Amino acid sequence: MKFIETLKLALAAIWAHKLRSALTLLGMIIGVMSVVVVVSLIEGFNRYVDEKIAGIGAKSFTIQRFNIFEDFKDTDTIAAATRRNKDLTLDDFEYLRARAVLVDKLGAGGRPTASQIKHGAELLEDVAVDGVTANVADIKNIDIADGRFFTETENETAARVAFLGADVANKLFPAKSPLGDEIYIAGLPYRVVGVAAVKGSVLGIPQDNFVTIPLRTYASNFGGLVRNRSLYFIATSKSDELFDDAVEESRQLMRTRRRIPARAKDNFGIITPDAITGLRDRIFGSIFIVAIVVPGIALVVGGIVIMNIMLVSVTERTKEIGIRKALGARRGDILKQFLVEAVTLSAIGGATGVFLAWIIGRVLTAVFFPTYLSLVAVFVAVSVSGGIGVLAGIFPAWKASKLDPIEALRAD
Amino acid sequence: MSDATMATPPSVVEAGALEHGDLLAHDAVPAALISMRDIWKTYQMGSEELHALRGVSFDVQRGEYMAIIGPSGSGKSTLMNLIGCLDTPSQGRYWINGKLVSAMDDDELARIRNKEIGFVFQTFNLLARATALHNVELPLIYAGISSADRHERARQSLASVELTDRMTHRPNELSGGQRQRVAIARALVNHPSLLLADEPTGALDSHTSVEIMNLFEKLHSDGNTIIVVTHEPDIAARAHRVISIRDGQIERDERIK
Repeated sequence: MKFIETLKLALAAIWAHKLRSALTLLGMIIGVMSVVVVVSLIEGFNRYVDEKIAGIGAKSFTIQRFNIFEDFKDTDTIAAATRRNKDLTLDDFEYLRARAVLVDKLGAGGRPTASQIKHGAELLEDVAVDGVTANVADIKNIDIADGRFFTETENETAARVAFLGADVANKLFPAKSPLGDEIYIAGLPYRVVGVAAVKGSVLGIPQDNFVTIPLRTYASNFGGLVRNRSLYFIATSKSDELFDDAVEESRQLMRTRRRIPARAKDNFGIITPDAITGLRDRIFGSIFIVAIVVPGIALVVGGIVIMNIMLVSVTERTKEIGIRKALGARRGDILKQFLVEAVTLSAIGGATGVFLAWIIGRVLTAVFFPTYLSLVAVFVAVSVSGGIGVLAGIFPAWKASKLDPIEALRAD
Repeated sequence: MSDATMATPPSVVEAGALEHGDLLAHDAVPAALISMRDIWKTYQMGSEELHALRGVSFDVQRGEYMAIIGPSGSGKSTLMNLIGCLDTPSQGRYWINGKLVSAMDDDELARIRNKEIGFVFQTFNLLARATALHNVELPLIYAGISSADRHERARQSLASVELTDRMTHRPNELSGGQRQRVAIARALVNHPSLLLADEPTGALDSHTSVEIMNLFEKLHSDGNTIIVVTHEPDIAARAHRVISIRDGQIERDERIK
């Protein structure tokens, strides 16, 4: 018997028992769907942390006043770090820039301040305004939708130019391009040179409500780069292989400059992508495992449901099996028929589950958090469901194939 | 196949035919379509042995129309299952179309059922969810015949039992007589050597029974070999030869036409 005939037979049998098939599939669909959705969320979160927070893609590290991982463990370490650590200065920046040979690009920025932005009658409160050096656009891979980022010359001369987040641009200039126009930030006029590409929102927090100005402009118009405007450096290495060496070089340079004794702690912090992903894995690793295991159980239960249905189906169709055997079906034919039926059923369940998970992922990405449909998850979920389908099908199929045709024909 | 059987006139089975069969060397392949030699079927019922058949031997030539009769419990159903290759004997030898069936395994038996035997059952045994056409196609599917050929042959077979206009109907949309004709079309579709009918009129009214028996007669005159298993004397009387079974043995084997 050809495979295509067996497949047709399986589809016909599935179609003939629509309600039963649908209920069976439901278990499989829910299992596959929840596994894929959960993995998509986790994968989306991991990628978000990698790209946006840890800067894995840009392979950059940050030097700042505090090492958030070491210093913020409890109130004692916070108090100790607050006494020990000092704000970075622009002189530190020049010092590093002159000496760090393994560092490719070295940028700097001040932490943002919530400010009032005005254009004509439009007024926006609490927009995050920060200042950076021009090369930060390269280091952070900032996407530009319109115009340009400001230049290093504009930074050096403390020019009053501004690069707007997409939301700010849309609110202040709903009808036209803001390029070349003037806006007022904290009462001072700035010329708009560029608009960032839309970033969307993460966990309900919009990512496009910001204005970036040159670091020196920020320092002179918003006050010293200390405390909440604390200065930080951001650096890339000459190559990926040199990354760890570049981090260590910067650390030693900072220690030398600050004359820290050999055994004393750093009085600054260096944040690397590995430290961030490591923290993420420590915090979320076990949560993720539970989050995957629970729908995984649903997947297995779905498989058991298929097995149960197939067993019922064999009993119910004893007569049919008898007829087929009398007409010349061999054991292998019957075995294949039931096996292919189980596998087809679970494959349909798997495919539907993946499709629904994809839709849910799209919706979640739009309204809640970026998800990423992991091909590995799809592959694993579908092969697990298919594999369970095979396992769930083998026993009933084997049972069916062993039926004595005389006995089977006698069944009602 | 039907051409071949047409060409061979039904041989006369004499009273001494069994002895003639016995004279064959044990490994010689008999010329008869069906050859049973000292067939025993024994069932183990707990500690007791139940002999459903005790040394049955007979030959059936190509083109014969034979009835097997006997009261219930006589072993006639067991004999039918053996002839139909649904089961194998505990002892003895059985050849069909020159093939020694008694030594075959399950899959080989399935192949013989598919190629050599067309079953007609008392309760029709059609697949309830399939159309008449699909039911008739079933043996061809297991014979590995391509779908286009299958449709054509199933259509022809249904036409031969005058059911061309009922091809897309399901069994529950057909009358009893029509269902049995679908079953007959299915039995014939793979051009079997033997048409084996088990109480073919048992579920039909007397008028329809006559119709079906007339059809059997026509199929016989077309050259088909037919064995009907029945307990009704007037159904058996339509055959040309009757074997009576009692207590697992052949009581009588007579030509009546």
